[in-house]
Amino acid sequence: MSFIPADYVIPLLLFVPAVSGVLAWAINVKGIRELLGLIGGITPLAVIALAYNTVLNGPINYTLDARVFTLTFHLSTLTWYFAAVAALVASAMVFGMVSTSGSGYDWMFTLMSVTGVLGVFVANDFIAFFLFWELMTFASFMMVLKRNRHASLKYFVLSIIGAYSMILAIAMIYAKTGALDFAGVRQGMYLLTATHRISNAYVDTIYVLFLVAFGVKAGVWPLHVWAPDAYSETDQSYTTFFSGALSKAGVYGFLLLYLLIGVSLYQAIGTFHGHIGFAYIMAWLGAITVVVASFLAVLQEDIRKLFAYSSIGQVGYIILAFGLGTGLGFAGGLFHVLSHAVFKGLFWLVTAAIILRTGKTEFKDLGGLAEKMPYTFAMALIAVLSLAGIPPMAGFASKWLIYEAAISAHMPLVAGAIFLGSALAFAYVVRFLYAVWFGQRPSDLEDVQEAPLPLLVGMTILAIPNIVFGIAPGLVANYINKIFETDIVGGNYYKLTTPSGTYNALTVTLLLIVGLAIAGLVYLYGARARKIPVTDTYQSGNPVTNEFNLTIRKNFYLPLKEALGSWLKVSFDRFYERLANLFEDFGDWLREGFYNGNVQSYAWYLAIILLVLALWGVL
Amino acid sequence: MIDWKLILEAIGILIYATFMGFIFMGIERKAMARIQRRVGPPLWQPLIDTLKLLGKKESVSHGFIYDFGPIFALGATIAALLFIPIANFQLFSSNADLIVVAYLLEVPMLGIMLGAMSSGNPFSGLGVQRGLLTMVAMQLPYGLAVIALVQHWGTFMLSEIVSEQQMHGWSITVPALLLAFIVFDIVFQAMLGLEPFDIVPAPAEISMGPMVEYGGKHAAILFTQHAIQLFAETTFFTILFLGGASNLLTLFLKQLAVLFISIFIASIYPRFTIDQAAKFFWKWPTIIGIIAVLLTM
Repeated sequence: MSFIPADYVIPLLLFVPAVSGVLAWAINVKGIRELLGLIGGITPLAVIALAYNTVLNGPINYTLDARVFTLTFHLSTLTWYFAAVAALVASAMVFGMVSTSGSGYDWMFTLMSVTGVLGVFVANDFIAFFLFWELMTFASFMMVLKRNRHASLKYFVLSIIGAYSMILAIAMIYAKTGALDFAGVRQGMYLLTATHRISNAYVDTIYVLFLVAFGVKAGVWPLHVWAPDAYSETDQSYTTFFSGALSKAGVYGFLLLYLLIGVSLYQAIGTFHGHIGFAYIMAWLGAITVVVASFLAVLQEDIRKLFAYSSIGQVGYIILAFGLGTGLGFAGGLFHVLSHAVFKGLFWLVTAAIILRTGKTEFKDLGGLAEKMPYTFAMALIAVLSLAGIPPMAGFASKWLIYEAAISAHMPLVAGAIFLGSALAFAYVVRFLYAVWFGQRPSDLEDVQEAPLPLLVGMTILAIPNIVFGIAPGLVANYINKIFETDIVGGNYYKLTTPSGTYNALTVTLLLIVGLAIAGLVYLYGARARKIPVTDTYQSGNPVTNEFNLTIRKNFYLPLKEALGSWLKVSFDRFYERLANLFEDFGDWLREGFYNGNVQSYAWYLAIILLVLALWGVL
Repeated sequence: MIDWKLILEAIGILIYATFMGFIFMGIERKAMARIQRRVGPPLWQPLIDTLKLLGKKESVSHGFIYDFGPIFALGATIAALLFIPIANFQLFSSNADLIVVAYLLEVPMLGIMLGAMSSGNPFSGLGVQRGLLTMVAMQLPYGLAVIALVQHWGTFMLSEIVSEQQMHGWSITVPALLLAFIVFDIVFQAMLGLEPFDIVPAPAEISMGPMVEYGGKHAAILFTQHAIQLFAETTFFTILFLGGASNLLTLFLKQLAVLFISIFIASIYPRFTIDQAAKFFWKWPTIIGIIAVLLTM
């Protein structure tokens, strides 16, 4: 039984956020603005939830006639999954926005990007896909632009390069197949490949163009440089959506590569040591992204930068998993799409709360907040456990699937990269815990208060799936099985099984509780503990007062920095900056060289053109 | 439907593991003493130490997380132990495979660090930093060794790895896995926190690092945790490379062998600094590990 007629699902999904965003901007009265924002952010989740049964019975199609083009949309089991993740994050994000943002401008572009992302997921032809892709890019750009021009332009230029690579690739596909709708493209490309009417170089070019297009949005190395700046220089509640859901558009693009032109790519690039060639490239891009971004995350001195790099690294896991090219890999990647969205979204909301309440972002200014913001701290702890992959959290279940997939796919070095990446993830979340929540509290943070209620609600919305899908990973795995219509991951609600391994989250939880109970009993058996202040501590036998700063807040991982030494001298950020400067200089040179204000030279240009025409034989 | 036999087995194994863990700690101290021509303490000394700590009249606390840290560490260690098939006792091992166990064996570290960090002591902070960097450094070769093993035996299930070895000979008799074994043994030294990788507590340098603020019952819990962890990790090693064991006596002998290798290495090497350790782990063990995984592909 469905509560909404199938025809209304997609329009509601796409238009409610955008329309309420524009209304919030137009009315811009405190109270109404927030209400409209909440409506716009929560409606997609409600619609998506109500469409669940309908989608399982068959995809929902919707066509929008825009005169020149016909836009088609398609809510299948796969796109429902992505849209549901985005809608979940969006609903938590709007609660955060209520607390952190007070302008109609923010609401308009926030909700516009919600529409953009949902549109990208449900689009069923390249026109709709590209339109919504650009809407999403533009809206997120406007959000960054408000805070920081340089960061936003960097993001915009890279996004534009990505978008126009995409449009080139689409044009190349259209030129050969004459189709823009996904089914037509798939069929056309398949036929062309089967009849050898398409050259390998042509397909390779399309592949590279798409890699650039989707790589920019997903933040794949070496196109990740926009992310640390853009993620940090915006409203942090918005980053919940930006990094939690918007980056998934790129990930979805990589999946589209398989669905639309997978056969052609397979034909064109072939295999490498038994692996699908084009997927193998993706797997390595993902692995490098994981390692590079995680190393950089460890060395950051700013909460926002740390989580920005961490986001890039975690999306790297997804690309890596998709690159494995096996059913298990897809399952792991899709699961990680959900778990990354929920734990990283939670992290950004926590960051938003910290910044809202303290106004500080650098680790050196923070400390000892656990006592002041206990609920936020509890939420941060859940996010930390999930990201670091501690059973039984959602983050562990998805990482476990990726591990199993990578090793079973016989890609040992790629799997080694995940091992390294997860240790690094451990290191950077602990850094965050240590510098923000523990140790001495700087005296100017004495009157910090708990985060406001809407933010807490937003955090709770994202914390619940972390735990629920952690203890019952089978809920997600079963749905993923439905997407692929085969049993990729076996087991029941609590248990995941693969051909060679098994993970029973419920048993792990129960035994962990038993273990904690035993340890707790030992603790209770001992003498009562007396609470002492932070300054009552061991300092080689010296007395300690509040003037001493005993918490290491700066350069926590200095030895790692030294050990990495020469590697850190190579920076793509600097490379792009230099490249941009070169182009700028070239532009200056062109302008000054040709528009030199000398009438004589303009006369010469005329003469030269005439000469060229004469030589050509026109005159 | 409650499986009473399983529960009794689990309780029995837990008691046995705790006791044996303490004995292993005693063996460690005794062997170290004999290597340095001392008599050394009796074998049950760590047990006495722990009971003494537990009997302290007062302990201090820096707050909730400070208390929760050691409890979490001990709880996670107990959970990890129960997922490992120990000799002929399968316990809960059919519910979790190698990756889960490997992760669960690392969780206690998070607990210890959580508690240590919340004390706000600079030595603890330094210890946490060193602990995490050691983990970052050792994880790559560790992962490679595990991957080589899984690729060779084709399964993630610990009990199946044991039965495969009982059919086809121990892991270390396979040349590629012998390399993985060497890597794992180097990493193991860091897992146990023995020289040259006892960088985390580093007694003479940073006054026990994470544990510096802990006394009384907190320290007792951490000692117990260490004992169980020692038992669990040596068992894990035995399962992966030495063919597991069909009874507790065989297991004990194999654990002892594993332990003695570590003790001998530990007693003749001085400590690495943390950046040396990182560079070391990313050089030879990683290279050997890569060779091992490529050979098993």
